[in-house]
Amino acid sequence: MSEESFKRRRSIFDLIDEYFESLEAWAERVTESLLERPSWNCRTCTIEPLRDVMVTSDEVIVTVDLPYAEQNTIQVKPVGKDMIEVSAKMRRKVSFDDFGITHHRGEFQRFHCRTKIPVPVYMDRMEIRFKRGILEIRLPRKHEYEIPIE
Amino acid sequence: MERMKILNNEEIKIIERKEIPKGTVMLFGFPDVGLVGVIAASHLISELGLEEVAYVDSKLLPPIIVLHEGLPHSPIRIFGNHNILLAVSETALQGELIYPIMHALIDWGKSKEVKMMISISGIPVQDRQDLEELKVFAAASDQNTLKMAEDKGVEILREGYMVGPQAVMLQYCATLGLPAITLLAQCFFQYPDPEAAAKVLEQLANFTGVKVDVSKLLEKGEEIRLKARDMMKRTQQELARMRKTQEYDIPLYIT
Repeated sequence: MSEESFKRRRSIFDLIDEYFESLEAWAERVTESLLERPSWNCRTCTIEPLRDVMVTSDEVIVTVDLPYAEQNTIQVKPVGKDMIEVSAKMRRKVSFDDFGITHHRGEFQRFHCRTKIPVPVYMDRMEIRFKRGILEIRLPRKHEYEIPIE
Repeated sequence: MERMKILNNEEIKIIERKEIPKGTVMLFGFPDVGLVGVIAASHLISELGLEEVAYVDSKLLPPIIVLHEGLPHSPIRIFGNHNILLAVSETALQGELIYPIMHALIDWGKSKEVKMMISISGIPVQDRQDLEELKVFAAASDQNTLKMAEDKGVEILREGYMVGPQAVMLQYCATLGLPAITLLAQCFFQYPDPEAAAKVLEQLANFTGVKVDVSKLLEKGEEIRLKARDMMKRTQQELARMRKTQEYDIPLYIT
């Protein structure tokens, strides 16, 4: 085998690196394409709120921005083992007109979203609080196994 | 009517629509954490009745226009009166555009003999939900401007990283020898924060002498948060790409 053809053959580490890079790029594209949709739904008259998921060593903290939400209408429901659904009624109806938009028609009076929980959690031990129009959901993490340190 | 075109460089044009006064203070309100700068800028424009005096035109920008009353506008515009010029962006800027856009705006401001550049934005804090009183921090391009900020009672951001348009502004103004300051109000990272915008505007008045009533901003807080959702979502994507969370990092100083 000539030196030239040997150089052209990449090492297993290069191939693994390339694989992970392409996987990362793919994941980024998928995430962005999922985000690329309107944040409102005229059919269900709902608005998708902004939200964030933070994973700490012992819990997952989900926050959801719910301006105009009526506190006593906020509902948080587990959907399976790794998803939660949040909905809330707004104190007032909001229409596209309110935003100066005249080329769409629709009124909204509810927030609705589903959020995936990235690690195993105890859904039945969730704690919820609502402050400054922000809903905070705390879910204790389920540590399924531990590696003992010798 | 467009009066003249200034070519800052091959790639970015700043097109003036009105006569630009010299010797003003130039402000920057760009999409960043909590959209503090954009919300504050929008409030300044409406409260002071600022007029559009110039806009940025560049093929580097994504093919976006903003329609107002059916007419096209650049997403990056400069508003002003005889006291202040205010550069504001209505779209989240991609990380790679921040350098050329900020350099072009600062070069243009320098040509208008701007006496000070001030960037208004936020600094994210994890326990924002529990903070009753928000602090405003400052960083400056030179020792004299930093002292001026300190004399006005603003807490100085002594150590840390800064990411985004304000970082480029401070560095470039330091290189050019222009006095510049960044005012950063404690805010939410990922949610629009009108309270933080009100706080930064209160502090800004100490530097510009231009006071604005922020009560409407606070009263309309929920409405602003609802309206700003889509812009915040786009901004979050760009902040993630430019590694904005590095602002939480503790730096290792090389002395």
